[in-house]
Amino acid sequence: MGLDSDVSQLRRGDLDALSALLGRYQNRLYRYLLRLVREPAEAEDLFQLTWLRVAEKIRKYDPSRNFDAWLFTLARNLAIDHLRRIRPESLDEPIPGAPGESAATRLPSAERPALEGILDRERTSRLATALDLLPVVQREVMTLRFEEEMKLEEIADVTDVPLSTVKTRLRRGLEKLRQTLETNYPGENWQ
Amino acid sequence: MNDHEKIRELLALAAAGALEPAEEEQVTKHMRSCEACAAELEEWRLLAGGLRRLPTPQPRAIIVERARARAEIGFAEEAERRWHRIVMISVVLFAWALTLLSWPLVRLISGGLLGMLDPRLNHAWLGFAVFTSVVWLAGGTAAVALSLQKRRERRLA
Repeated sequence: MGLDSDVSQLRRGDLDALSALLGRYQNRLYRYLLRLVREPAEAEDLFQLTWLRVAEKIRKYDPSRNFDAWLFTLARNLAIDHLRRIRPESLDEPIPGAPGESAATRLPSAERPALEGILDRERTSRLATALDLLPVVQREVMTLRFEEEMKLEEIADVTDVPLSTVKTRLRRGLEKLRQTLETNYPGENWQ
Repeated sequence: MNDHEKIRELLALAAAGALEPAEEEQVTKHMRSCEACAAELEEWRLLAGGLRRLPTPQPRAIIVERARARAEIGFAEEAERRWHRIVMISVVLFAWALTLLSWPLVRLISGGLLGMLDPRLNHAWLGFAVFTSVVWLAGGTAAVALSLQKRRERRLA
């Protein structure tokens, strides 16, 4: 059964459609929440709260809007409220790098380690750890782009910022990520 | 900043597939003549590829079941709230209709058929208006108090 059909059935109160949507989105939604709050227990609570919020708000959902964006916006609002309450400092993490400056311009190309080998488990784990070190606003744009494979316009919709801000966060996130990997694992041959 | 540096600034976004078509074209064109940038772009692409291949953490089955159960309860509560709203609106509309209908009735009883055509206000008319206002005010206050209490209970639940 298609997504649109599940959503319209859920709007009519069909609980089978709820199961279908839960099955469809459970991993993606949990991954997104975990990337935002970083703590599995907190992500689990927020995961449950998100579905409760879906039940409360689905009748107000505008079917012309992208359901993914609507669902992730609900989850994001809950996660941001949670972070504001529990760890307000995590929302004020400085966005590194002066305007106009980028890691690409700072890295001497001759000494730059190659990143071609980020395929094995250990390196993947390092990459995930480095991702966790990014400020929350960059982390969420990175996960929405690379893991959720959302379009930039959808990311702007979910995060409620202009497209240009999404691009800036994406670029700075990637640069910071690369810088972190190269600082923490100097001389590491990533191939 | 020369063209080469400008292009280098775009490489991370190029690997993320986040460039405008015109920028994309600029990058492609530059890649043909600049090996350093081509190598740099390849590095960014590998990093982007690594991010796309990160393992997906999965929620525990019990958490998914709890989420389903809570959502189902949420649906039931939302349906109940909707029903209460419909009942409340119907009761209010009915009460208003009754009030508006009772005004000419009171006028008829207090002043007879001719009294209804008299535009002046008499004591019975004023008394009834005051009585209606007091009843509505008391009813409205009770409804607001009840609704606030319900909201508090829901928040604590």
